[in-house]
Amino acid sequence: MKELYNDKFTSVDDIQQRFEAAQYICSEQIATCVYIAHNLQKPVMVEGPAGVGKTELAKTTAQILEVPLVRLQCYEGLDESKALYEWKYAKQLLYTQLLKDKLSELLEGATGLEQSMERIHSHDDLFFSETFLEPRPLYKALHEELGCVLLIDEVDKSDPEFEAFLLEVLSEFQVSIPELGTIKAKIKPLVFLTSNNSREMSDALKRRCLHLYVPYPDEKLESRILSSRVPELSETLRKEVVSFVQQVRELDLKKVPSISETIDWAKTLLLLHSEQLESPMVKQTLNVLLKFETDIDAMGDHLRTFISKAHKRSER
Amino acid sequence: MQQTLEDFYKVIRAAGIKVSPSDTIETSRTVALVGYSDRDILRNAFQVSLAKSETEQNLVAECFDQFFSFDTFSAANDPRSDNTAEGNDAINDQQAATSEQNEVPQAQSELAKMLLEGDTASLATEMKKAAREVGLTDIWFFTQKSLYAQKIMQKMGLRDLQNDIAAMGKGDCPSSIAQAGELRNAKEYLSESVKDFVEQQLSMYGRNATRNLREDHLKSSKLSNVEQRDFHVMHDLVRKMAKRLSTQYSKKKKQDKRGQLDFRKTLRSNVAYDGVMFETYWKTKYIDKPRLLVMCDISGSVQAYARFLLLFLHSLNDVMQRIDSYVFTGNLISVKDIFEAYPVEQAIDKIMTDHGMGGSDYGTTLLDLDDQCMDDIDNKTTVLILGDARNNSLAPRTEVMQTLHLRAKRVIWLNPEPATFWNAGDSVMHKYKPYCHMAKTCNTLDHLERMLDDLLKAATSGT
Repeated sequence: MKELYNDKFTSVDDIQQRFEAAQYICSEQIATCVYIAHNLQKPVMVEGPAGVGKTELAKTTAQILEVPLVRLQCYEGLDESKALYEWKYAKQLLYTQLLKDKLSELLEGATGLEQSMERIHSHDDLFFSETFLEPRPLYKALHEELGCVLLIDEVDKSDPEFEAFLLEVLSEFQVSIPELGTIKAKIKPLVFLTSNNSREMSDALKRRCLHLYVPYPDEKLESRILSSRVPELSETLRKEVVSFVQQVRELDLKKVPSISETIDWAKTLLLLHSEQLESPMVKQTLNVLLKFETDIDAMGDHLRTFISKAHKRSER
Repeated sequence: MQQTLEDFYKVIRAAGIKVSPSDTIETSRTVALVGYSDRDILRNAFQVSLAKSETEQNLVAECFDQFFSFDTFSAANDPRSDNTAEGNDAINDQQAATSEQNEVPQAQSELAKMLLEGDTASLATEMKKAAREVGLTDIWFFTQKSLYAQKIMQKMGLRDLQNDIAAMGKGDCPSSIAQAGELRNAKEYLSESVKDFVEQQLSMYGRNATRNLREDHLKSSKLSNVEQRDFHVMHDLVRKMAKRLSTQYSKKKKQDKRGQLDFRKTLRSNVAYDGVMFETYWKTKYIDKPRLLVMCDISGSVQAYARFLLLFLHSLNDVMQRIDSYVFTGNLISVKDIFEAYPVEQAIDKIMTDHGMGGSDYGTTLLDLDDQCMDDIDNKTTVLILGDARNNSLAPRTEVMQTLHLRAKRVIWLNPEPATFWNAGDSVMHKYKPYCHMAKTCNTLDHLERMLDDLLKAATSGT
């Protein structure tokens, strides 16, 4: 394990190469963004359709920098007690029960209410100390000795209140716990926020982040990604698969297939030992690529033309 | 370079992207980090740090390409490009000739020399320098174009050039007269280029100003006066407004009073009562969406407004889920299906041709409403009526309005006529008015927006 910022990226190219070595093919824009984020220690807001590798980007970055990845999955109703910290109520109760005798020992000899209170006062901080604190992802991320990559996944699913709470964390990298005071990050974590744009994030949050939009990849990039992720795939089939998926994306679908689906499909075809895209095979495996019955139906008419185009493309 | 960056921020702002001072600081740091050596990386860096959404990213890229282009004074525009070599030779010959005859007046000014030599690179630099000196980045409107072009020409030394031309034209040496002609052509070409340049800059810096001006104008002009050609702009405006209103108010959540008990929260808040659960918290939350029933008059008397009211209705339909839309002249007709099936302009045309025109009959319409929808109207529904209440002297059927008033959460009447006309002629507004929670004049987009803002605020605040 190394410290987060010890390992500097020297250039944008350097990032691209190291990501490629870790089997993540990134466009120049992604690389530039990571380069800036790491050097200026700024959070990155990654937006884009589902399955284009937003989460993967954070994971790979952590892997390359050799720091732990702390992940916070957001959902409706997520609040501080689940994201930051919570007191271990049960443990606190248990301890007070168990230590009852000790408490009476402590109070021995004290006369009057005031004196007893004072004695307890001198010890009550014990019950609100880190022993009784249940750390949650954000707290963990701030406490990491060597820094970490913090992934706040699907931040658009969280409530506006939580978003407001994130502001303090992202700009100052510190949080306030009433009983303990302000806790500052030992080393600023590298933060990735991902969003599917199901709701518009507030300007205040956006302002604090670098904004990265990851679109569906173009043919060249997708082909490279596929060859890195599914290296066993023959070159002709790879070209055909990519060309086919690219054509499918042009259609008006409910859920357009993304890279993860392309990879899954390629693996499926590999498993079924196909050498070439063939109509019956494609039809049977289409459910890997498309996730809605209506989408599969909509494909029906185009299937043949898409396959023949894909064949032509791979011959070129 | 700082100056260039600041100019670039100006362009970005003009394109409608909000760039705060802290953004500019961060971006400058970013640029310092990545450097200027690689154009693509620089563009990416700008995109990543200035844009806040996908559309803004594209805008930034567009602005970047426009701003950092160096194609003014390109060879294609050069009048002498087709015979450059010859032309230059000719000039050289002339210059050789003129230097032989020493008394002949020569081109004195810097500008004239550059023009004669066809030194486009330094001309472009000079022009940019002049542009900065006259503050071209402050250009806003197309009417300022020739003013700025003139200013830039002056700064570049137009007067000296003219003096040169005059002096050279006066002499009787043929070569210098020819050169004067050459210079005159070059001057024309220069002024064309400067105009082009100013125009290009205007398209960058003035983009937003012109649009804002037009939009402001549209917002406050009477809906009946807005012309057909502005329909698209209007459509965008209305859509934006409807969207803003609905996102602002549809996200409000309320704690439900039943369902699964939020044990943790309940326990914690009841510690003060020694664990006896006085205050309960529930896990389920529901989104409190206002339910809206809109009736829009499309009869002949409000024809001029009807298109825009329908436009607004359509936009609302797009962004709100719980909305019932009706139009009426004599009968109440649901248009929800039409709105869903057709794009906006077609839908409006279809409604106007199928159901429009004719005199309005508010009485029958209200009876229809009583018949068809009264059961669905409850204390969460807001009823919005758009119309002028000109009933063509038919029975007004105020008793339905009375029931409506009792049942619905709010009844709102928006009348395109000013309040002074409300009781004149066949208007029965005064009869309906007591049964409305709110009755107001509404004939500009501004009115509409303010009204709807009030409406939705009231609908969600639970008053």
